[in-house]
Amino acid sequence: MTTAQERSDLLDQIGLNTQNKAALGQVLGTGTIGRATEESDGRMKATIRIHPDELTWDPEILVMPHGGDIELELINDDLNTHCALLPSNGDRKFIWLVNHSRGRANLNLDGPGYYWFGSPTGNDEGRGLTGAIVVLGDAPPEARLDRPEQPRP
Amino acid sequence: MTVDYVDAGWAVDQGSLSGKVAGGDVAPPVVAGVDYERILHAREEPQNWLTYYGAYNGQRYSPLDQINTESVKRMVPAWVFQAGTTGLIAGASTYSFEAAPIVVDGVMFLSGWDGWVWALNAKTGVEIWRYKHAVPFDVSLCCGNVNRGVAVAQGKVFFVTANARVLALDATTGKRVWDRTYGDVRAGESATVAPLVVKNMVIVGSSGGEFGVRGHLDAFDLETGEHQWRCYTVPKPGEPGAETWPADGEAWARGGANCWLTGTFDPETNLLYVGTGNPAPDFDGAVREGDNLFTDSIIAVDVDSGQIRWHYQCTPHDLWDYDSIAECILFEEDGRKLLGHFDKNGYFFVLDRTNGEMVRITPFVDRITWGAITREGQVTAKVYPDKEGEPVHFYPGPAGAKEWTHAAYSPKTGLFYVPVQDTGATATRRRREFKESIPYWGAGVQVDIEDMAGSISAFDATGEEKWRWRNELPMCASVLATGGDLVFAGEPSGEFNAYDARTGEVLWQFQCGSGHHSSPTTYMVDGRQYIAVPVGWGGWAEGFLPGMLGAGHGSALLVFALPEPV
Repeated sequence: MTTAQERSDLLDQIGLNTQNKAALGQVLGTGTIGRATEESDGRMKATIRIHPDELTWDPEILVMPHGGDIELELINDDLNTHCALLPSNGDRKFIWLVNHSRGRANLNLDGPGYYWFGSPTGNDEGRGLTGAIVVLGDAPPEARLDRPEQPRP
Repeated sequence: MTVDYVDAGWAVDQGSLSGKVAGGDVAPPVVAGVDYERILHAREEPQNWLTYYGAYNGQRYSPLDQINTESVKRMVPAWVFQAGTTGLIAGASTYSFEAAPIVVDGVMFLSGWDGWVWALNAKTGVEIWRYKHAVPFDVSLCCGNVNRGVAVAQGKVFFVTANARVLALDATTGKRVWDRTYGDVRAGESATVAPLVVKNMVIVGSSGGEFGVRGHLDAFDLETGEHQWRCYTVPKPGEPGAETWPADGEAWARGGANCWLTGTFDPETNLLYVGTGNPAPDFDGAVREGDNLFTDSIIAVDVDSGQIRWHYQCTPHDLWDYDSIAECILFEEDGRKLLGHFDKNGYFFVLDRTNGEMVRITPFVDRITWGAITREGQVTAKVYPDKEGEPVHFYPGPAGAKEWTHAAYSPKTGLFYVPVQDTGATATRRRREFKESIPYWGAGVQVDIEDMAGSISAFDATGEEKWRWRNELPMCASVLATGGDLVFAGEPSGEFNAYDARTGEVLWQFQCGSGHHSSPTTYMVDGRQYIAVPVGWGGWAEGFLPGMLGAGHGSALLVFALPEPV
């Protein structure tokens, strides 16, 4: 058994959060976490990087404060070519990210909930290039059930 | 030394990398002229399949007869459309291809799983445009990542998403016109229904009955998306029907009764006929004493106001998960306006659709042990989860003697054609506290993987069985009836069958490579009749056929036709 505090130590100790140590790749969900910034008009921005030989997104979990439009800056600092397939209403967005490249993506997401994104080439996704975009918030008041507040887990 | 980054530019729509030719991504404006009047008379243009059931009456019947009992043996695949999946999606192991393809003047509009909608050339299968809604990976789905189809009218394509939204797309480009949220995903609500267009409204129902929500129908203006009305299917305290729920506590607020299948409509009564889902918790009735209206009911809803005018409850105080969501097929008998409904509880209900009066009730499956309903409509429960921890076995299982997949009715033969599931299950009551968004069943449930059977059974309106085509596996896909005296139905093991509508003899068969759990439709382009069937096994297979949980998923639309003249 572990406690929450032990988790980060064990990730490092066992090598779950790095390439070719415990598993072959970095285990999903063991990477970094970042928050999108919000402009005065409600539009959100964030930067996601791929560092050399890490085969993971930084942040691996990006948190948006609410649903809406977000502009991503995608930077590949790696010495290999990757790509990104990103969730967005209308169609998923795709971009090639050759070695040492920088691209952008405009996404529109509803939330609340979370969405996976990845680099669909070879098995980048399995090695660690699978990330999540978490959208905070609630359904709008007009869509909610007419009932008293209910207990949640 | 710093080296400037290579400019990777902007991410593009994935669909732009799908081999489309310039200009090939715009559909002709075939939907611009589709309005209420045309849908009202949908069967007067048999080359099209304009609305979910083919017509408001829910018969799933087409008068097309080029493919008939004589010619069907020559039928061959015309084209196949395959979408597959990429990346991690919600319900990655439970997605299923459940839609009913809509066709308007040579263009097919089709929904898939996980927020997909496509416009296809109905003659060649070539994709014209696609729309992909981003569906949260963690959305609550009781029964898989599924969607049952789209509606079309006034230049738009309407569909719902798993995260409880209803959207209008431009039918020529697939671009979003409006988008409204009509459910609360934090409460466990979702959406799977094919919308129904009536007058100037698009009408949708909510899913989530296994999560203790309060079911509802919603209507939106076709043009603007403005909300028109909401009809709750569980009354609040003080409203009609509230006396059928415990007076103290909040059982009503978690009562279920979701309308997760498309209703039918009679313009003369101005009523929508909608089936409602199970009460929640499904199997623990002691926390919701009473009949629990309007769960497991057929409700007649005034389409203009959203008010329930009458109801008929098929399984009062349900303890077996017997949703009454199944279609209400409208038909006439001796000048009387009736509806036919094959319920999960194993009985065929015929009601007077003007007032809800029961006309007759007959069983349509061999094994019914949960209880009995007399010809007068008296319901007696016999076997049900009662004592905590004590397993109880009953027939039919929670997927019902017929699941959501639709029966068909041929006005030509006067027969109903029903996909029957004869499978039992064991439920053990396990009481649990309600918590919003957490499954709320009140039992452990295991559906049988042995001693099961299925059939396509033909009944007349009196409930008399006229023929039965027997299968070793339950039949879990919708039936299509045609003017060619044919009935089409797919098997869980992949075979797609054409039956003689008068005898049940199998006249043609094709192995589609994956199990069927969808609604085939038929249409005609340039004088050639096509039969279209989405194929992709999945959904709530642990409920309706756990013995096939290991079968391959598939995700193809197969379209058949007679060979073109050489």
